[in-house]
Amino acid sequence: MAEVFVLDRVLTKPGQARAFVDRYLAEYAPGAAERGMTLQNVLVSPPIWFEDQSNTVTITWSLPNPLAWWQMTWQGRPDPALGQWWSDVDALVLERSRTVASAAADVDALCAVESDV
Amino acid sequence: MFSVTRLLDVDATDRERVLGSVRAAAARSGAQRRLAELTDPGSRNGGDILLHLRFAAQSDWCTAEPVITEALTDPAITGINGVTYRGAPTRADGPATVYRTLLLRVQPDAPAEKIALFEAELRSMPRYVNTIRSWQLSRVDHAIGTTEWTHVFEQEFTDTAGLMGPYLMHPIHWAVVDRWFDPETTDVIIRDRVCHSFCAMDRPVLS
Repeated sequence: MAEVFVLDRVLTKPGQARAFVDRYLAEYAPGAAERGMTLQNVLVSPPIWFEDQSNTVTITWSLPNPLAWWQMTWQGRPDPALGQWWSDVDALVLERSRTVASAAADVDALCAVESDV
Repeated sequence: MFSVTRLLDVDATDRERVLGSVRAAAARSGAQRRLAELTDPGSRNGGDILLHLRFAAQSDWCTAEPVITEALTDPAITGINGVTYRGAPTRADGPATVYRTLLLRVQPDAPAEKIALFEAELRSMPRYVNTIRSWQLSRVDHAIGTTEWTHVFEQEFTDTAGLMGPYLMHPIHWAVVDRWFDPETTDVIIRDRVCHSFCAMDRPVLS
């Protein structure tokens, strides 16, 4: 079954990109790894630690398949600390999104999950 | 059509007895469609017995309610989550053997446009998951239990595998609809624990 990618895209407040990345890696990433996610990369755009402008930080995680995605979210969802963490870093964030994706080559197979009925 | 759902938490030693009395009450209710079954162990917060009744009109339920209420006062019933609601199902051909209902509460401060998009995405799911036969999405008239339920999403599935496999594993679920339930997203509008309850059905409920 196809890999699943979780993408956090964060527009940081001016001058806060480095602080956000540091907190993300120190406070959020260890728990995410325990829930089964593998950190693929943390991208900063533009790659300058601005003091007076925003950066876009894009963090990519992977999971081996959709079942692993469910297992990850079932572990995290009952934990109020997880939602609280995102609230706690609001001071560093202008806007953010979390999306879930897969490789284009895997889309047909993922959507054919019901084809054996 | 006016529908009533009750998810009953029942002491393990009394489940068969309570199921018998609930079925007897359902048979006397005058409901056009009725279902009273032990829930599948895969249910989550879904009770031990699922009771579902469908009436032509709310007045029919008002007539039947004392009979049902009496059956549900059994001391072995330790908790009830339930809803009443209106609406008609969307029906599809093909056999179904599993009835599933989802009770959820949208946060009261959720913007109307977000709720509308959430509802539209739920309604889109049967287009992608062909193990869903008939289905209905409804707003709740009256809720009882642990949460002030706002929505009911019910389906008939081909079988349990059709619920646990295609429904769960299709990207429309985990990459689209689930974000409304995920506290890690900015779209989350359902924060309370849901009732996910399903059971075998030996006659049509929605179809």
